[in-house]
Amino acid sequence: MLSRVAANLYWLSRYMERSDGVLRMLKINYASSQDALTEFSWASVINIYSNISEDRLKQIEYKGRQVLDYMLFQKDNPCSILSLISMARENARSVQDHITNDLWQCLNEYYLLMRDPALIRSLKKDDPISVLDLLIKQIMLYYGTAEVTMARGESRSFMSIGKYLERSIQSADLLHVKFGSLDHNPDLLTNASYWKHLLQSLGGYELYLKTFRQGFEVENILDQVVLNVDFPRSVIYSINNISKHFEKLKSDHYINDNRELSFMIGRLQSRIKYSSVSSISAEGLGFLSSVKNELYQIGNAFHKNYFSHA
Amino acid sequence: MAEVSDFLEKYVPDLGVWDEMLCEKKQIRSSYANVINYLVKEAEDLNKKEELAKRLFMSQGITFTVYDSGEGIEKIFPFDMIPRIITATEWDFIERGIKQRLKALNLFLKDVYHNRFILDDGVIPREMIYSCPHYIREMYQLPVPKDIYVHIAGIDLIRDHDGTFYVLEDNLRTPSGVSYMLENREITKRLFPDLLPQCRVRSVTEYPEILYKNLVALSPRQISNPTVILLSPGIYNSAYFEHTTLARLMGVELVEGRDLVMDNHKVYMKTTKGLQQVDVIYRRVDDEYLDPLVFNPGSVLGVAGIMSAYRQGNVAIVNAVGNGVADDKAIYSYVPEMIRYYLNEEPLLKNVPTYKLENADEREYVFKNIDTMVVKKTNGSGGYGMLMGQSATQQEIEEYKLEILKDPRQFIAQPTINLSAAPCYFNGKLNPRRIDLRPFALCGPDGITIVPGGLTRVALKEGSLVVNSSQGGGSKDTWVLAE
Repeated sequence: MLSRVAANLYWLSRYMERSDGVLRMLKINYASSQDALTEFSWASVINIYSNISEDRLKQIEYKGRQVLDYMLFQKDNPCSILSLISMARENARSVQDHITNDLWQCLNEYYLLMRDPALIRSLKKDDPISVLDLLIKQIMLYYGTAEVTMARGESRSFMSIGKYLERSIQSADLLHVKFGSLDHNPDLLTNASYWKHLLQSLGGYELYLKTFRQGFEVENILDQVVLNVDFPRSVIYSINNISKHFEKLKSDHYINDNRELSFMIGRLQSRIKYSSVSSISAEGLGFLSSVKNELYQIGNAFHKNYFSHA
Repeated sequence: MAEVSDFLEKYVPDLGVWDEMLCEKKQIRSSYANVINYLVKEAEDLNKKEELAKRLFMSQGITFTVYDSGEGIEKIFPFDMIPRIITATEWDFIERGIKQRLKALNLFLKDVYHNRFILDDGVIPREMIYSCPHYIREMYQLPVPKDIYVHIAGIDLIRDHDGTFYVLEDNLRTPSGVSYMLENREITKRLFPDLLPQCRVRSVTEYPEILYKNLVALSPRQISNPTVILLSPGIYNSAYFEHTTLARLMGVELVEGRDLVMDNHKVYMKTTKGLQQVDVIYRRVDDEYLDPLVFNPGSVLGVAGIMSAYRQGNVAIVNAVGNGVADDKAIYSYVPEMIRYYLNEEPLLKNVPTYKLENADEREYVFKNIDTMVVKKTNGSGGYGMLMGQSATQQEIEEYKLEILKDPRQFIAQPTINLSAAPCYFNGKLNPRRIDLRPFALCGPDGITIVPGGLTRVALKEGSLVVNSSQGGGSKDTWVLAE
């Protein structure tokens, strides 16, 4: 496969995964803004997913619909859903011969939907949750189409690596931000809705309730979001999948072995696997930063070794 | 149920124009009868079908992007859903005519880049060749695989008032539009279920397989699985949709210049496994941009050094480099002579009479009769830079004349040919609009194949004779009927 094609597939998949993360985050936060008694600040959400200027942030921080408009439809925000879907579609367009026609059409229709003036109007005056649900459904359609139609070959493996790398970075990032805020505001530690939102943004709330029956404990949240191998948004689940697809690429002889990259993935996998809740708690934020750092390095190594044969 | 007469109420054929649907007595030709009956039965649903067609083009991304104030807008090429129908007899003639013409053009290209017998024998004046900007000196004495220069041709045909076919242009460089031939057919299948087999329409789906087989046969390395690639200028090219479609249908890699590197006069593509040697390149990049070392030094669309690999015979390039010398609009006027010279046959397909403006007598004649002429640039395309004497203002004509006098070799003139008309659907009724025809011919080691069909372009503006998509033209599905 051409290096450019592999890189485009990998990034296509990362853009879609990021869109999914952004949309879920927006939905949960909008819902909780409707419960808020005091003015609801969107600053933390916006800061995770975009690099907005201070001034602009101050203008819209407390204005839910304007935040949604900025995060969904603004072209000048490179992390808005419109920007992400446009880039995903552009990548898909340039690798149309490597994805199924169904998947291409799915992405193309998503793009056309994002440009639909009726949708933009609807966000201004109707129920924003309906708009967000519609966009989340489109991503589900994308995942389903990819799952059902794509051959289990090289293209899909590169897409999977992109998907799980992006997902693990997001989960680690979210934990990092949430735990980071504790330093300034220790009261949050016992704030049930604070932890509930974290789990809801990751789609893990129901699983948590079933697994842990005695309310929100930081240890239990770490257990689920970092260590639970069956939770599809846990850090370890994503890393196991990166490893699986990397090994498949090698064993099917689509790529040559790269010992350095194998080593990096294996090391991170073992590091998390052989951590415990108590060891993570002891390390604190340092653990999350170093996991994030290693994930970035893995991403760079893919670029260096497979995407940029110069 | 609607009546046929109702449906055709607004259908008034222009005088002196060949009508594809109606014969002189205003009767529907037998080739169109089935379709018209079907349409009359479905009359109430036709607007819905038109919507469906638009939706299908849009959601499949059969679009091109127009950039307007930084904003990319997706547009579809206008599609008229009423098929253009060619009878078995007409097709048989077209097929024989195109094969004859291509055979001669291929021999001409080989001759002009090698022995130049045709110049020595004075059939074509030498100045004609050497003044042509598309004559590529680097091709002199360069052998091409199997002596084939034109692997893919899109020869444009038009019909005069009596239905005679004329060749308007030989597109021998990188003719485009074949994906629309294929997609228009797919859409028609969805719009008019069961109608195609009922009318006994011949299939066009084989095109990618034939092309692929021909490409593989050109591989310089005698290996079982040579690497064939399609070289595209990239996603901003207006024909990008066509490039992806062809790559997908042939199962070959779609490559851009930046994916290729040269090593020791061989072409390689950069893959996830390292470098992989390339054997055959179906390029959709013009000669001028192919190799910055030889042609336009500013080009980033091609690959530096690719011409040397070509010269060494390490890679096959399709179509061959330098074909422009054979489809130059001034050389065009010599094609009937070429057919007589190389094949010793009378040409089947006629040429439109062409006046070369560098010739003082012809120029004077054209200037006198300019209101019945179309003046074109010899290396122009896309309908740009031409003058339609019929509709131009006096001032436009005077300005154009000055332009011509600056460099008369770059211009030719042809009498205005009344393109034939075919029915198009406009809001519940049929109206006649002017059309042309571009069948796609493939030359391989086993001979020339023309899939029964082609791209019918249509001038959607009433009375307009310009069918180019860049100037408000659309397209139709083209049906060739079985005997």
